[in-house]
Amino acid sequence: MASTTPNGAPSPADYDLLPKLAPHLDRHMIFPLLEFANGQLLDDEENITDEKKAREITQAKFALLKKTDMTDYVANLYCELQGLKEPPIEYAERKQKVFSQLEKFEQQTGKITELLERDDVVNNLRSDKVANLEFLKKDHDVTIDMVNALYDYGNLQYSCGSYGDASELLYRFRVLSTDNDKVSYATWGRLACEILTTNWDMALEELQKVRELIDTKLQANPLAQLQHRTSLIHWALFPLFNTDKAREPVLELFFSAPFINTIQTNCPWILRYLTVAVITNRGRAKNVGIQQKQMKDIVRIVKQEAYEYQDPITKFVHALCIDFDFEEAQNQLVVAEEVLRSDFFLLAHADDFVDSARHLIFESYCKIHARISLKDLSARLGLNADDAEKWIVNLIRDTRLDAKIDYKEGTVVMNHPPSSVYQQVIERTKGGFFRTQVLSAAVAR
Amino acid sequence: MSRFFRGGDDSSSESSSDEEDLSLSEEENEAPTKAQQAEDESSDDFDDDEEESEEESSDDDESKPKGLSRFLLDQESSESEESDVEATTKVKSAKDKRHDELEATITGIQNGQKINDWHLISNEFDKLNRQVVKLQDGGKAPKEYVKCLAQLEDFMNETLAKQKVTPKKMNATNTRGLNAVRQRIKKISKDYQDQIDAYRKDSDAFMESDEEEIPVPKKVTKVKFEAFTMAEEDEDAAGFETVGKGGKALQFTPESILKHLRTILESRGKKNTDRQEQITIMEKLFKVAETPYQKIRVLMTLVSARFDLGSGGAASMPLEHWKAAEKELGTLLQILEVSKDHIVIEGAEEWEDDEKAPVLEEGQKHIRIPGSIVSYIERLDDELTRSLQAIDPHTSEYIERLTDEGTLYNIIFQGLLYYEALQKGASLEVPQESLNRIIQRRLDHVYYKPAQVVKILEENSWKAVPSTLDSRITPRSQSGEAIQLINTLCSYLFENSEGIIRARAMLCQIYFLALHDEYYQARDMMLTSHLQENIANFDVTSQILYNRTLVQVGLCAFRKGLVYDAQNTLQEICGSGRQKELLAQGVMIQRFHQVTPEQERLEKQRQLPFHMHINLELLECVYLTCSMLLEIPLLAQTGSSPDVKKRVISKTYRRMLEYHERQIFTGPPENTRDHVMQASKALAAGEWKKATHFIHSIKIWDLMPNTESIKTMLAKQIQEEGLRTYLFTYAPFYDTLAVETLSGMFELDSRKVSAVVSKMISHEELAAALDQVTETVIFRKGVELSRLQSLALTLSDKASALIETNERTLEHRTQGSANAFSRKDGRGGGQRGGGRGGGRGGARTGGGPPRQAGGTQFTGGALGAAVRG
Repeated sequence: MASTTPNGAPSPADYDLLPKLAPHLDRHMIFPLLEFANGQLLDDEENITDEKKAREITQAKFALLKKTDMTDYVANLYCELQGLKEPPIEYAERKQKVFSQLEKFEQQTGKITELLERDDVVNNLRSDKVANLEFLKKDHDVTIDMVNALYDYGNLQYSCGSYGDASELLYRFRVLSTDNDKVSYATWGRLACEILTTNWDMALEELQKVRELIDTKLQANPLAQLQHRTSLIHWALFPLFNTDKAREPVLELFFSAPFINTIQTNCPWILRYLTVAVITNRGRAKNVGIQQKQMKDIVRIVKQEAYEYQDPITKFVHALCIDFDFEEAQNQLVVAEEVLRSDFFLLAHADDFVDSARHLIFESYCKIHARISLKDLSARLGLNADDAEKWIVNLIRDTRLDAKIDYKEGTVVMNHPPSSVYQQVIERTKGGFFRTQVLSAAVAR
Repeated sequence: MSRFFRGGDDSSSESSSDEEDLSLSEEENEAPTKAQQAEDESSDDFDDDEEESEEESSDDDESKPKGLSRFLLDQESSESEESDVEATTKVKSAKDKRHDELEATITGIQNGQKINDWHLISNEFDKLNRQVVKLQDGGKAPKEYVKCLAQLEDFMNETLAKQKVTPKKMNATNTRGLNAVRQRIKKISKDYQDQIDAYRKDSDAFMESDEEEIPVPKKVTKVKFEAFTMAEEDEDAAGFETVGKGGKALQFTPESILKHLRTILESRGKKNTDRQEQITIMEKLFKVAETPYQKIRVLMTLVSARFDLGSGGAASMPLEHWKAAEKELGTLLQILEVSKDHIVIEGAEEWEDDEKAPVLEEGQKHIRIPGSIVSYIERLDDELTRSLQAIDPHTSEYIERLTDEGTLYNIIFQGLLYYEALQKGASLEVPQESLNRIIQRRLDHVYYKPAQVVKILEENSWKAVPSTLDSRITPRSQSGEAIQLINTLCSYLFENSEGIIRARAMLCQIYFLALHDEYYQARDMMLTSHLQENIANFDVTSQILYNRTLVQVGLCAFRKGLVYDAQNTLQEICGSGRQKELLAQGVMIQRFHQVTPEQERLEKQRQLPFHMHINLELLECVYLTCSMLLEIPLLAQTGSSPDVKKRVISKTYRRMLEYHERQIFTGPPENTRDHVMQASKALAAGEWKKATHFIHSIKIWDLMPNTESIKTMLAKQIQEEGLRTYLFTYAPFYDTLAVETLSGMFELDSRKVSAVVSKMISHEELAAALDQVTETVIFRKGVELSRLQSLALTLSDKASALIETNERTLEHRTQGSANAFSRKDGRGGGQRGGGRGGGRGGARTGGGPPRQAGGTQFTGGALGAAVRG
């Protein structure tokens, strides 16, 4: 995988995270990432080095999928790599084998699948797995082997690339099986399937399940916990950036203490995604408080991890929120945009990010300054004077900033009313009476 | 030692205590207690002193000719042919005296049996055993002894049987005595099994000798009494004579080596042995030793004898003996290296036969010799440390002694190789612990040294071993890099050890990393180790190591320019004012309470040798400088708003500053502290150049690597903090301030100035705003509170604190059922008043937001700034 980032590449490629992400992702999930990398090259194909790179990617794809059972595709890739017209005979053989295996499993699981589709059977199932199995065994001659066959069949289906079927099979398996290890594998498998079929709602559900599994099952083994969490974090990137619904739960997951620790210790590069997610989340989040807290957290973590991981995105946060160096932040934003555009996950969010980042810059800028020249501001925002004015007017309206534009002078004048002492005293003594009342009630009891 | 163990035994179950005793038996035999020594000696004293009573004993002689002749025979067979007649007679009488005592003791035991007093029996029996050692020659015990033993065993079994039946328990001392006797008998009867059997078979025939002869018990007591009074005196004469006699007589032949060794071993630990003499004997023995087995045995005994010289008291081992021991240990390791079929291993069985050396048996790969190389090495190391502690570090003697460390390191290294080789042979169960210990020793010698020094050390030790040898744990190919070495050693220990060794390995690695400017790595390891939580449970030396590591991490942070982190890390050690004690670099003078001599001695033992010290003055200098950089802006900030709670970062620093300010005349700075204090004063007045000058003129910076870069770093920090201080101090007197002016004043980039100002504004430390158009800082007016207003704020603060305390008190008081009610209520009300959620934490967070918002404006902001800055 590392072959995708040759040395001396242009700057956005330096920040390519694919090699770092790959070890924590499933083969099938890396594939879209590679496809994307390939797609990036197509824009400027006249370059020779890129052709070489394209070949490298194809090679990587081949290596990636060699072990899966998507034989046709692998055979094609092989042909492409070797310049052959016909794939070697072994692929046909393998295909045959896979088909025969599929058939075999189909037969083995046929009965149980049929049973589970019958209403009278399903209605008799309860939440107790052991009882269920007992019931099926007694009434319908279902053996534990048949249940396990479901698992194997699901595995094979997944390997062949038919994720929907695999998901269904694993679901059925999970309903029936009492084997804890296999159930947890099946849960991971389902998560993968749902991600690959882009069924995000289900994926989120599975995500929660896996999270619980990690918390409960692996309690005795912190190392395994760490590794599993790392994987889960990586997998969760798919839903995070593909559906808005996932944003809050996944962010909440990432910011929970064990996961934030995992990110800090094991995979600081996730900070990029986390930062982008938090920054683009502004205005969207229902709860402003949470968003602010997350922003504070991210600033803190970016600062803590600065020695271990840095990219334009974290540098932007560092410059803006820690050093208050607006020029530097502006510079980093430009680079960050490029990086975002070459990132599989973040591509769709590049514009969003830039917009939110501008907001962020302006907000802290306004907080500190009393008077800003419009001209300067427009330069800083990368807009022309008219657009900048419009932008600012919108901003003032949206965020209810206490600011006015002095058109004659060409400045924006900020008004920072000092928080009044009276207000402070009122704030501080607000809850006092009530709390005392509660206290006295409690004492009286 | 044996006493101590026996004392502990009776609480544990019988079977386990038996095992323990068996395993201890070796030690017990070799190392009798002081008390035993004293008694032995006393009996000798008695013999020598009471020559007049010979007539009495001569009666005894006549009355038991059998015994006498036996003794004569024994004497002749065991001792040299040369022994002259006069000596023989003398010895004869002494022997008889002992016989008398023996019998007296036996009577004592019999008396004890009559009244069923096991405590008495136990005491007498111990005495008996000691006496019998002297009397027994050629492996045969006196018959009386055997008889007594058999009888005692019978009686004991009887008592035990009785005890099982009767519900009534014996009292504690009795039981203890019984147990002790039981264990002893078990052990001893093994040695004399055949004799006891013979006695059991036909007691009369065995005894033959007369029984009616019973010495007066009174005499025994008197002897004992006298003996105790004399015990204090060092009466070497007798001991010396015997050994000397033996020595003169000894023909050092290869065959007799083992026998000699045994006599030496037996006399080991006794007070009246002349160790010096023994060492000379052994040196001679080593010269004639031929087989590797003999050589190994002699060397091992020799080295332990040398260590014995150093034991006792605080004095360290004499230099020439240390050197000799080191050389001999080296030779020993070499011999072991060459003759692979001999191994020295812990827990091997003792070879009892002195006549012939053990031979390699069928199916056995090695001849096992009991011993512990790692203990020898550890001891050698400890002795060096002790001698280094004793030597004045500012003399050339110290440096000379220090050069021995190199050779010691070689020995450690070779020992490590040896243990690795042992571990390779899978058939041997080499305890992992020995390997861990030796690796720990190696680590102890490198962790505090700079990489270059470690490299030289390593190179030398690799040169010393044959090039064919390689280490599994630390391969030769990797020996070049010190970091690599430390890393491998430590990770080996992480994997294979636990508890203290593991923690120590961790600390050593952190120390080394910090020493080599790997701050983040060191800090992360320190944090992930979680040592700060449980370091208090470790032993004192580990705690010292922890403190040292902490300090080193702090210094490392300082070198990196992370002033806040440095101050924070050093606070715990330096803020206490007990650096010397905490780092074991000198004994503190206790002002308030007396230290017992015992404590003082322990303290002295813990002291680190000078070459391991962390420079305390440098440490203080770093700490004070960091404190200054944090405290001065804080003081300026709080100074302008008097109502803010006084928050103190470093009490020590504050105290010094106050003291300094109280002085009426301040002369030019003399020491480090003066420099920092005057710099602080200058900084507080905004004269950053002067402050920089003061700080830069501190001489001790030269001890740091890259002095120049550190000075530049400090200058930069002073500039920034100076700017902050200036703004805090003079903000009330300005309406606007041009950034340009500030930048000129502090010779900072105007971009930097605005960044600093922005930061302060953003953290709400400064009530101001920037005007971008005119590039000025506009200070807001009307933020200075009137006296009344600030008092009102304080009052409201106090009121809410009061409520909080009340709530907490109630919660504390009613942790039972009442709590559940109040909690439910609290939660219900929590929506409105930010009331008291579940538990203490809930209450705090619930009540937090409004107060925190107020708090950040003043106190929190400064801390935040410090944290972030």
